[in-house]
Amino acid sequence: MVRKGVGADSSHLLGLGWCGNGLGSNTAVVDVRDGKILRTRTFDFYEGYDPEELNAWKLTVGDKTFEGPSTLALPPLSIAYKKRVTSKNRILYPMKRVDWDPKGERHPENRGKSKFQRISWDEALDIIADELHRQYDVYGPGSILVQQDGHGETKLVHGPHGCMSKLFELMGGVTLQCRQPDSWEGWYWGAVHVWDAFPTGEGIQKNLFKDVSENTDLLLCWGCDQETTPWGWGGQVASQMTYWFKDLGIEMIYLCPDLNYAAGVHADRWIPVYPNTDLALQFAIAYVWITEDLYDKEYVQTHTVGFDWLEYEVMGGTTGVVKTPEWAESVCGVPARIIRALARKWHKQATTVAHCNGGGYIRSAYSHEPARMEVVLLAMQGLGKPGRNQFKFVEWGLYGADSQKAVPPSVPFGTLQAGYNGAQSPFVRFIPKTLIPKGIRAKEPFTWMGIPRPSMPRENQFREYRFPMTDDDPYLHMIWTDCPCWTTCWNGGNDFIDALRSPELECVVAQHPWFENDCLFADLLLPINTKYEERDIGSEFDDAVPNVIYLETQCIEPLGESKSDWECACAVAERVGLLHEYTGGRDVDACIKDAFDGSGAPDFMSYDEFLEKEYLAVPFIKDWEDIPAGYEEFCNDPAGNPLTTPSGLLEIYSASLAARFPDDVERLPYPHFIDEGPNHHESRLGERAKDYPFLMVSNHPRWRVHAQMDDIPWLREIAKITGEDGYAYEPVWIHPTDAERYGIADGDVVKIYNERGWTLGGAVLTERIMPGSISQDHGARLDPCEPGVSDRAGANNIICPTNVTSKYAVGEVTNGFLVGIEKADLAELAAQFPDTFSRVMDEGQGPSLSNWMTEEDR
Amino acid sequence: MKAFVFDAARCNGCFNCQIACKDEHVDNDWAPYAAPQPDTGHFWMRVDQKVHGQVPKVRLEYRVSLCNHCADAPCVKAAPDAVHQREDGLVIIDPERARGRHDLVEACPYGAIYLNEELDLPQKCTGCAHLVDAGEQPRCVAMCPTGALRFGDEEDLADALAQGEVSRPELGCGPRVHYLNLPKLFISGDVWDKEANEIIEGAEVRLEAPDGSQLVTQTDDLGDFWFRGLEAGDYVLSVACDGYVGVEARPVALEESLNVGDFPLVRA
Repeated sequence: MVRKGVGADSSHLLGLGWCGNGLGSNTAVVDVRDGKILRTRTFDFYEGYDPEELNAWKLTVGDKTFEGPSTLALPPLSIAYKKRVTSKNRILYPMKRVDWDPKGERHPENRGKSKFQRISWDEALDIIADELHRQYDVYGPGSILVQQDGHGETKLVHGPHGCMSKLFELMGGVTLQCRQPDSWEGWYWGAVHVWDAFPTGEGIQKNLFKDVSENTDLLLCWGCDQETTPWGWGGQVASQMTYWFKDLGIEMIYLCPDLNYAAGVHADRWIPVYPNTDLALQFAIAYVWITEDLYDKEYVQTHTVGFDWLEYEVMGGTTGVVKTPEWAESVCGVPARIIRALARKWHKQATTVAHCNGGGYIRSAYSHEPARMEVVLLAMQGLGKPGRNQFKFVEWGLYGADSQKAVPPSVPFGTLQAGYNGAQSPFVRFIPKTLIPKGIRAKEPFTWMGIPRPSMPRENQFREYRFPMTDDDPYLHMIWTDCPCWTTCWNGGNDFIDALRSPELECVVAQHPWFENDCLFADLLLPINTKYEERDIGSEFDDAVPNVIYLETQCIEPLGESKSDWECACAVAERVGLLHEYTGGRDVDACIKDAFDGSGAPDFMSYDEFLEKEYLAVPFIKDWEDIPAGYEEFCNDPAGNPLTTPSGLLEIYSASLAARFPDDVERLPYPHFIDEGPNHHESRLGERAKDYPFLMVSNHPRWRVHAQMDDIPWLREIAKITGEDGYAYEPVWIHPTDAERYGIADGDVVKIYNERGWTLGGAVLTERIMPGSISQDHGARLDPCEPGVSDRAGANNIICPTNVTSKYAVGEVTNGFLVGIEKADLAELAAQFPDTFSRVMDEGQGPSLSNWMTEEDR
Repeated sequence: MKAFVFDAARCNGCFNCQIACKDEHVDNDWAPYAAPQPDTGHFWMRVDQKVHGQVPKVRLEYRVSLCNHCADAPCVKAAPDAVHQREDGLVIIDPERARGRHDLVEACPYGAIYLNEELDLPQKCTGCAHLVDAGEQPRCVAMCPTGALRFGDEEDLADALAQGEVSRPELGCGPRVHYLNLPKLFISGDVWDKEANEIIEGAEVRLEAPDGSQLVTQTDDLGDFWFRGLEAGDYVLSVACDGYVGVEARPVALEESLNVGDFPLVRA
């Protein structure tokens, strides 16, 4: 049993991370009193163990020692998360859009406009069963699109994502939304072709915490915010590490348009770079190294292929533009003298580039170019030499791959997959998530390259796929979503909203705990539990604390008529007569036991002991210090330890790209400078910048995890800017000199716009953003003015570019895009959009669900 | 006596302390220590953020504010029947006897007392005395990920107390929240060779402080110089570098941290 907290009736282990899909993190103890959540506190991983028994680790460098943490320092999000359980925004019973009549008129054009009425589970299940049968009878398998990915509560037995797709597979088949590598686009579409790194295209991380600690002089934190990005599923270990690096005297330079939260407290130097112009800076650094003979020629000769192509591009390439620091200054805003000094410093000092997956450029137009160029720069200084690697502050447990473990690993242990009821269907019929609007509207087949999923082999990017999969397969007529945040997280929410109103789309079902974002456009809403209301099994792997699995005992009774994602799918399965086939006869406890048995846990303790102790911790390996760091082995002996690229070397020139895509002008076989091209016109030096002169930074949010948690009053109290009209606006950072030119004062409400629509923000005049750029975190909870056009809440994804990364790369472009700004006229907007501006607010939580319900159901 | 120590050099600005306070006290009744805190608007533990400097020389400063659990507490004086100091020094507003005592909000010179309108009750940090009595740390301290916030007996924190400073000592209340490494203000800039368009490393930068003392530093390998930990006042800056025409006696009125900009030098 977990130690009981002061004043608690009971205490429960719970993973309060939001990676979703079974990957636990942010392990916490939740205290409960009188059937109510009392508090959320940290868990001591050694509570039931002797540290020696678990080979507790520490790292000593000189006279300093870093003790492996005994608790996973929680982020504020995990502590505040309990507020979501009792949020007034909870969907507590099934609801139906009032003018959606499955037996009559369905009014798809009114999605996002009309209100909802309460119905019973029984009625909801009847409607669903009828509609499912109709879809399969009329159109055949594939007419139902299941959106089943993204982030969300991390549950195992209960899903959270993809519980429905298994049922639809049993009914004959389904079309899946395939979530592309949204946080890693550039690595996946670009860097992979240089070093073929598994599973996302980011470099080998093995033992890099040790290597950086011992050998690195300079950390280039490139768009890296380790005080924000890891919060969702890595707690605050990265922050603790950063203070340790500082104590060791490691210098930190931050390269980003904004003084992000890590830069604000850790940077020795902030070098502001215009959003998504890093490529120019990188090329100029290469220019300095080549012209001043400051790179590792021997390494380049023995470890890379195609360096002459880089030299060609640096010295002019096809455009003739020589990539001098002076040229780069005009593009990226970094003074030429600083570029030269930085280049020389990088060469002179053992330098590692640090990321939290990549920052803005990794999700911008043509993100493959800066990503692969970074690998080339690392190669030019001897990638894999002591202190010279690419280090990630997050996700060392990614895909369970040994290559990702920057921190000491535990003894080999399995996964809990045997108990998992979430997404596990193969991608047979699928549409990349970035192409969903196109898929909804499709009236003729279209194609793309690859199953865009991390962990797919590089070669898969060369294979063509299509929708519908065959000429006999149907187009889409129904959507079932358990991750209703496409509008606020993906590439062009307005376009998605527009597609959702297509007449061909006959039914949209959303199952979700809260009424938010895409839920507004559903026809049916099903109430889902939070994990506090369920019994489950959880885990925390490779977060620097001991690897653990634990029983997540139920904290409180379910609210309203809510069910878990899995129970919801079970209810539908029962109604269509497939319950036994769906569950295989397993109940929750049977799933938990299967997870335990399948994980390798019985080698360490019996199931009864597990139920009693409630958690199992696995020892660290003893000789972790001997694991070669990063690219050390490849560096020392490239022939003996080749990469998995065709040549076994770092491929600056990719013969595979050259052979497969000879017509591609956006991604050439070698890194080249590109700011605009057929798919994107988002350069501040381009034509569109005359109308939309600012480059928009839209980072992963500080006070949310993507679209989640925008209704937590304690976080909104910190984050939001209260406008003159009393509405809590999402902040937008504007440099004072820019604000002055546009007559914008601190606290004003500002319209952020381009031809794709507009949103609003509360102006924060600050030196934390470089002039010429503005910054507004993404993921604010959609509060539409004119759905598909405009929004009040700052849900800026609605105006992101809709086009994918480049011609053959179906990534998203959700950062570094052009916008205009102006002071908003609130009185005029209120007159123009009376419904929006008169919506009832729940105290501290934002727009109330009651706005969207019929009079009698409020 | 119990004391808090806040080390600004160790604060990453995560707001865990502020949120943890709400987690512990909002909607939770800890009678007789405290009645529930309202959902929003009260900050028994508050984090303030300040932006120093101008692009690109910018830093964030975070600082916590909470009840100082003063040795000579004005709130105790104002309402001895409703506020008491425990033997361990923690100051507690009695959640029953203090009802209606709006005057207590004004009695605290630090603004650490908030009015709970619903309960008609002035409220503030209790040092989580209900946890301390159970042998635990206050929540804000327990949830701090970096060790920036500490709590304990004064004798165990003696080193920090000796180096630290307290808020507004001139009030003479004997506050028991001690601040370490407050950054104060900075003056920063960079120096470069205008003709060569190169940074200059090793240029000597002098700063004459208001008291006449001289601070000297050299530009680093990006041409930058920094003077940190300064008080507000009128300074005089000069830059000298062999082979270049330097910058003589430039007055700098320092009210807030300042990026004085770049100094392009020409050859002598």
